[in-house]
Amino acid sequence: MSGEPLNDNRWERCVPVYGFPVVTRFFLWLMVLILLAFVFSGYRELAGLGPVSGMNDAFGWGIWKTFNLMVLTALGSGAFAVGIAAWVFRRKRMFSLMRMALLTSFLAYACGLLLLGIDAGRPWNFYWIVFPWRWNMHSPLAEVAICMSLYAMLPLAIENLPPVLERLWYFDSRLRPGVEKIERRLHSVFPWIISLAYLLPGMHQSSLGALMLLAGERVHPLWQTPWLPVLYLGAATFMSFGCVAGTTMLCCLMWKRAMDMDVLTEAARITSWLIWGWLGLRILDIVFRGAVETAFHFDRFAGVFWLEVALTVAGGWLLKRSVETRDPQPMFIGYILSSVGGMIYRFSPTTLAFRPNPEALYFPATIEIIVSLGFISLGIAGFLVAVKRLAILPAPLHAWHDMANYFRFRRPYIRWTGYFQGRYFGSEEPKTAQGDD
Amino acid sequence: MDITRRQLITTIAKAGVPAAVAVTASATPTLTEHIPVPSAAVGLLYDATVCIGCKACVSACAAANDTPPDTRGDELHQAPSDLNELTRNIIKLYKPEDGSPGSFSKRQCMHCLDPACAAGCPFQALSKDPETGIVSWTAEKCIGCRYCTITCPYHVPRFQWLGFNPRVTKCELCRHRLAQGLKPGCTSVCPTGAVIFGPRTVLLLEAKKRIQQSPGRYYQDRIYGETDNGGTQALYLSHVPFEKLGLPELGPESVPARTLRWQRRFYQYFALPAVLYAGLVQVIRKSLAGHEHELHEDEKRTGLRAQL
Repeated sequence: MSGEPLNDNRWERCVPVYGFPVVTRFFLWLMVLILLAFVFSGYRELAGLGPVSGMNDAFGWGIWKTFNLMVLTALGSGAFAVGIAAWVFRRKRMFSLMRMALLTSFLAYACGLLLLGIDAGRPWNFYWIVFPWRWNMHSPLAEVAICMSLYAMLPLAIENLPPVLERLWYFDSRLRPGVEKIERRLHSVFPWIISLAYLLPGMHQSSLGALMLLAGERVHPLWQTPWLPVLYLGAATFMSFGCVAGTTMLCCLMWKRAMDMDVLTEAARITSWLIWGWLGLRILDIVFRGAVETAFHFDRFAGVFWLEVALTVAGGWLLKRSVETRDPQPMFIGYILSSVGGMIYRFSPTTLAFRPNPEALYFPATIEIIVSLGFISLGIAGFLVAVKRLAILPAPLHAWHDMANYFRFRRPYIRWTGYFQGRYFGSEEPKTAQGDD
Repeated sequence: MDITRRQLITTIAKAGVPAAVAVTASATPTLTEHIPVPSAAVGLLYDATVCIGCKACVSACAAANDTPPDTRGDELHQAPSDLNELTRNIIKLYKPEDGSPGSFSKRQCMHCLDPACAAGCPFQALSKDPETGIVSWTAEKCIGCRYCTITCPYHVPRFQWLGFNPRVTKCELCRHRLAQGLKPGCTSVCPTGAVIFGPRTVLLLEAKKRIQQSPGRYYQDRIYGETDNGGTQALYLSHVPFEKLGLPELGPESVPARTLRWQRRFYQYFALPAVLYAGLVQVIRKSLAGHEHELHEDEKRTGLRAQL
């Protein structure tokens, strides 16, 4: 538009990934993993946690909690971090990433919470969650359990409704009055819902860090700090930016979509600043607590620490450079490296840097790993179905018209994709040219 | 209408922010920094210098709690290597390499005055009795999250890893026996009186008397649990450093008070989150209005339905 440099790839509209089958070989492999995970979960409910996992008295928490929940919900905080950039700090171009952020967040949280139900030893007692006077208000774990399920079930689910409603709107003109009515209602409550969607993750992502405060000295001094809640929250912000932008770039590569380097560069700029801020706090905290000399011991803790720092620094540096050059390749690698660094950080206090006693060891059992992978596959499979059936992935405006032509001329028999019924392309009679290839 | 409502909310926010900050900063010291001792606090006093390591208390404990003896070691003797889902009480041996004096150590729940397990327990399955101060586990409230096994600084609660209905096992000071007027299993069989049961105040006096009678006999002339970790109801006397008995030096402040101070202040009366929420709603209403306007413009330009 006016004043902005011309950008042919400007993301203006979310468009479904059309022309690719949902059921592919990869998708079938995911299904196999999911099925295995469900079968083993059933076995776990009967046999108990011991036979299926490497957890023991010293390491009471295994990867189901420490990886699938603690690490992957940090990657899935996109709805929180990208959303705050868009809605609170009004970075308008970030809106084009919002649907990706909301979808990845919802899937990460839903799969994590499902696995939390499997991991809990006495899940039938979860019904206490509906009696607020039974909560232990000062327990970080209660805060996490209540906030997370509330967040995933209410604000996050509701925020994910617009693409579904949109699909219904295009699917059948008879549904439109109803859909529009729901949409109007939704819009009127949106400020309250969206605010809740920033308050709750802010609370539980920091409480996830507060969980390990109670473990005291048993967490290595490089990680144990009163600032754990802030650092956990900070790691979640840059990791989730990496997850959202990185996934979007990967999708663009896979399905040959144009990349809007304006949006991606702005996301990379925000991410790199988040990384530098987080690293600064992390290092300052270690220095001021006097734990810095433990980083130079020759042991596994120092190794993990330097790996984490090296990955985040490398990622942050690549992102910073890609902001200047607008080159997608270092940007993508930067997102991956920084996210992996953040993942190692989030994984450490509970597992890698947790030393309940000198001889204690934990390594996940095979079944435990399969179930963990199965629930990750559930998220990936859900993502693949969603981007192929709903308008999630951002694209230039012409992609929408390309899709129109595709369905009109090449696959006229597809009704169920829903987007092109009869002559309805947009809200009005089609005025713009549809055939501009 | 719109302006008055905005004014109203802004006014509330303006009044609410200082109020919330004041609540957060001030009201909590009473909650976290003063730990009340239960009125009828009972406890154990274990004197490591008297213990002969006969392990009578271990089998008496299992018998008193209707637990089958843990003979998994050699299929014959009840000799568990550590606390576990069948063992609430255990005698361990500290034997230094250099031949300096060793010691036995009795390990069971310390019944802290400010228990970390109960502080972390999400649905109050682990709770401290307001009168006797006994920390006990309620099966109906436990979701099996195993956070207690992570938080307890003494590593006492143990989770049952086998079976579909796992339980958390820890010493509950034989509260079912106390209700019948009996003493806890371990104290009722101890042949040397190394572990005795009584009100915490009485046990403290007794321990102080022992220290006074034989100065230099006890490590640092100190009772572990008088103030450690905010005070515990199981008290220890020892001739070797307490750390060798498996009792870490935690300082006089309890673990929850020390580590969850800011967490607790932040969520006090939910004041700060509520204020934050009110502020967010204000900001987002404005953003939403702007965003919807932009979407409308785009809709007119492209002729396609707006996507939120």
